[in-house]
This record gives sequence, C-alpha cells and structure tokens, in this order.
Amino acid sequence: MASEAVAHASDHHAPPPNVDANVVAKELIASTTNASARFKTIVWILGILGIIGIVSLILKWIDQGDDSTKWGYVASLVSFLLAVCGGAPMVAMAPVMAKANWVRPITRLAAMFSFGSLVTIIMLIPLVALLPPLVYEGTRRRSIWFEAPDYAPHIWSVIGLLLLFITGLMLFYSAAIPDFASMRDHSTGWRQRWGKRLARGWVGTDIQWRTLRMRIGMFGTFYFLILVFVTFLISTDYGQSVIPGSRDAIYPMSLTISSFQGGVAAIVIALYFSRKWMNLEKFVHLDAFWSLSRLLFALTLLWVYFFYSSFIVFWYGRSANDIATLDLLIRGPMVYAFIAGAILIWFIPWWILIWNRVRRGTTAMVVGAFIILIGLMLDRIRYFVSAWSVPQDQIHQKWLKVIPETYFPNVYDILIIIGGISLAAMLIMLVTRVIPVLSVWQVQEFNLLAKPIRYVRGHATLVAKPD
Amino acid sequence: MTTSILGLFQQPEPAADAMDGLKEAGFELGTFDVLTGTPYPEGAFGEHVPQHRLFRFPAFGAIIGFTLSIFLTAATQLAYPMVTGGKPILSIFAMLIIMYEMTMLAGVIATVIGIIFESRLPNLKPGVYDTRITEGWIGVVITFDDESKVADAENVLNKAGALEIKHA
Repeated sequence: MASEAVAHASDHHAPPPNVDANVVAKELIASTTNASARFKTIVWILGILGIIGIVSLILKWIDQGDDSTKWGYVASLVSFLLAVCGGAPMVAMAPVMAKANWVRPITRLAAMFSFGSLVTIIMLIPLVALLPPLVYEGTRRRSIWFEAPDYAPHIWSVIGLLLLFITGLMLFYSAAIPDFASMRDHSTGWRQRWGKRLARGWVGTDIQWRTLRMRIGMFGTFYFLILVFVTFLISTDYGQSVIPGSRDAIYPMSLTISSFQGGVAAIVIALYFSRKWMNLEKFVHLDAFWSLSRLLFALTLLWVYFFYSSFIVFWYGRSANDIATLDLLIRGPMVYAFIAGAILIWFIPWWILIWNRVRRGTTAMVVGAFIILIGLMLDRIRYFVSAWSVPQDQIHQKWLKVIPETYFPNVYDILIIIGGISLAAMLIMLVTRVIPVLSVWQVQEFNLLAKPIRYVRGHATLVAKPD
Repeated sequence: MTTSILGLFQQPEPAADAMDGLKEAGFELGTFDVLTGTPYPEGAFGEHVPQHRLFRFPAFGAIIGFTLSIFLTAATQLAYPMVTGGKPILSIFAMLIIMYEMTMLAGVIATVIGIIFESRLPNLKPGVYDTRITEGWIGVVITFDDESKVADAENVLNKAGALEIKHA
C-alpha cells in the first residue's frame, strides 16, 4: 500500500475532520427521506415542464413530421443530453481508476446522470424516423456506412444509445449494491423493501468487495468505450452525414471532449446544490471542488484546441467544399450562435477558472459551470441546426451550393428543449429519493483511507493508496 | 447441518487478531470470512484470497461478439455484393463499426451474466449477519459443518475481543 501526504497551503484548506462510519450511514440514508418543500416544488415544476416537452415533441411530429429541416433543435438537444448525461458518469470513473481519493464521495452523483440518458433515447426517436436511408432517391448517400444495409445508421445508433444507457445503469447499480444493503439495514418502509430486494443478500464478504471493484472497473471501461463510440455515431450520422460534402475527422473528438467538459460542469452544479441543500458539507470537502475545477479548466482549454484544429483545415483548404462548410457552420445562418457559444463554452470560463481563488471556492465555479452548459447548448445548436436545415433533396450534392436561411426555434422547439432538460434533471433528482446522493460506502472508504494530520507546522491529509 | 457464528468488532485490529487466531486454531481457509461495510485494502485482515473468474466473462463475450460481427458483416456483404468506391467487397474498415459495437454489446451482456455467477449474488442464505456492519462494525463469520468446533471458535473470538457473538 502506498501513501501520500497532500499539504494544505492555508487554513482555508485545512482538512476537515473524519466522520464516523455510523454517522455517515445514518445521515446519508436520512437524506433520502427528508426532502425539503423547495426540493419537492422543483421536482414538480421539472416534471410538468418535462410532460409539456414530451407533448410538444408529439405535436411537433404531427405538425412537422414530414420536414426534416425543422428538427435541428431536437438534434441539438440529443447531442447536448448525450454530452451531459453521458459524459458525467465517465468523468467520475476516470479519477477512480487513477485511485484518486477526492472523487470517492462524488461517484454516486455522477453515476446518477445515467438515468438522464433515457431522455436522450426518447428525443432520438423522431430523428431516427427522419434520417434518410443510405440509398436515397435511388443513389447511395455519403456516410461512414460504406457497404452496410440501408437502415444501418438508424439501427446501430439506437443500439449504441441503448447500450450506453444499460451500461450506465449497470455502472450505477454495481456500485450501489452495498448502499442498498445499508438501506435494507437502516431505512424504513418502501425504501427498506427496495433496499432488501436490490441488495441481493449483500453482506460485505471479501469476495463480494473484490468482485464489486472488478465490476466497477469493467463497466467503467465499457462505458468509456461505448460513450466515445456513440458520440462518434451521433456526430457523424446525425451531424456530418446530413451536410453535403462534409468531412471532418476532428469533429467527433471535439464533441467527445466537450461532452466530458459538459459532464464535469453538470457534476459541479449538482454537487454544489446537493451539498448546500442537503447539508452534506462534512462529507463533500472543498478539495473535491478544487480537483473538479482543475479538470474543468483543462477541458475548457481543450475545447478551443480541438475547434481550432478542425477549423484551420477548412480555412487553409479553401476548396469550394471547405468554403461551403465554413459558410454553413461558422459564417452562415448560425454565426451569432457560434460566437456566443465560443465565448460561453471557452472564453468566459477560461477567464473565470484561471484564478486559483475561484477554483478553491464554490460559488464562482458553479457560475462558470452554468456558463459552460449554456455555451455547450449553443455550440450544439450552431452545428446541428445548421446541419439539419439543409433540405434532404440536396444530400447528394458534392458540396452545399445554397446556404439555408437561419432557422429560429418555434414554440415547439423551445418547449422540447426546456422539457427535455427538465425531464432529465427530474429523473436524476428522483433517484436521490431512492438511494443517497453520496455513496455511503465510498464516503466511509474516503474516511478510512484519508487521515488529517499535522505536517511540520502545517496541515496535510495522509492518503493511503491500496495497490 | 451448516451453522455459522458471527463475532462483532468495532475496530479492525481485533478483527484481524481473530482471523489470525482462527487460522492458528486449525480452522480451514474458506470456512471463515470477514464482513465489512466498506472495502478495506486487500489483505488488511490477513484474509484468505478467494479466486474468481470474473475477468473471463467479458473477454469470452467480446470474442463471441467479435466473431459474430465478422460473420454478420462478411455474410451481408457477400450476400449483396456491391462495389463501393472501387474498394473490395470485404473491406475491413467498412466492417469495423459494426464489429466494434457488437463486440461491446456481447462484452457487456457477458459481464452482466458473469456478475450473476461470480459475485455470489443473489445470496439466498446470507447466514448470520448484523446491521451494524453497514455502520462501520466488522464481523468475523465462521461456518461449520461440525458443531463440535463452535466452542473453539467462540474462544478465539472472545480472546480477540469480540464485543458480541451471534449464532445462526
């Protein structure tokens, strides 16, 4: 077993005292039952908005189901939700695999975002129906599906998203079994009954813990591999392949990186509010925010790197195809969304997160995280609305000859976007009523492996790192 | 008839002493185990390291998925031969996407199946247990086929400082 001492520069970061295991279990389990009136009100509002969003989706299908150019905002929402709900669980997994202790209390919250992927699947349904087959009007269109059957992109994107959803749920459930046992042991009523059912007779033997670790590692690895793949599928099949002549090898990677960025931003926001409103300060220390902020800062800078790498190829290339692509995606109908998106996803967060003082706190960081999510949505709108606004009868052109007009959102689009995000948020909030938002056993493990110590004249946390 | 007893400890040190004591008293490895509410570093209690084959399941599933995907993509392309962009009928790069996704799909399914077999879950006969284990207490559980050794086990647990001993 290795260990490391993490020195704390000031009293502000003097390590908080460890919490007894029984206090961790009792208080976190109690957090599932003592929902405040504010929590209930928010859940109700989000639920109503979610229902309105689903109804709007159905009405839009009835009204505009025959015109694919009107579905760009739904495609943007799918990509946004894939980024946030798909990216968040991965962000918590990577540090766990690197044996970072600070992330242990956060992993449950991150895994809960998997439930939001259900909304991604719902929103994808009309897009699958609208996506043209590979052989369209008698000619095979350009895509990554070289010799595949006509509906390969439709089938494999749905399977991919379902696979991501199921793997996310398995990742969540695998790590949640010991906490369901805690619910069985210390909760009451339907929570106790569900805890007993879902704990599957967990008692905490050595073999159970060993296989639990392996399960988390395996599903974490699968999740990463599937997330990257699904992001690639969505960005090519529902983005690039509907733009005549578009070919950008960097865009799928750019989308993946920004999905990690969106995932970290979403975790920061969720952690901030759950910590504050559920009184979890003693379990989630400032160190967690500090570490997340460094991750968020790095990913924010990576966004511009990937964007520029992609942009410069088109800008230097200056072929008719390159010019048409830039005219559609950057200079054209969504130029204002592009500028606003770039400012909000990169420039402003860069100048917020660059300050140590901000990264060591919580309030400015959560503001930065909100700004990133707005920028992420605008960035997705910029790309997917432009892509889908191209009429399908132009799909065989070598490059886009006529740049479509700006397509502004109608009332359906606005309600679907608000409703989709609300529904995902509501699902995540409802899961916190079934199982604690922080993992009981991982908070206990965090306390087991980290001891606050005096280090010469300063403070430090001694962290044990089992091999 | 199989019976079990559980010694409860509040600290890990006496629990580790009890595990050592059981070994010294001649109890067979695998007949006693430690129950905890949080994962202690491996070997913290000097416990027996059981073998498992969980890692084989995803590997096995992935191989099956990969094989099926080669069959599916190759058979599709041979059944409907269509030269695209002057490339050969069987182009690996065109098949990679489906191969990757089917490999992942079968890998995940096999992992789920593996968990059912290897995690000893569902544990239909959990035996003797105490709810304080999920509050940080540590249990040392001993399973017997022969009840004559119960007294020996109790002696070891008491000597190590068990705060309570439960029978099932």
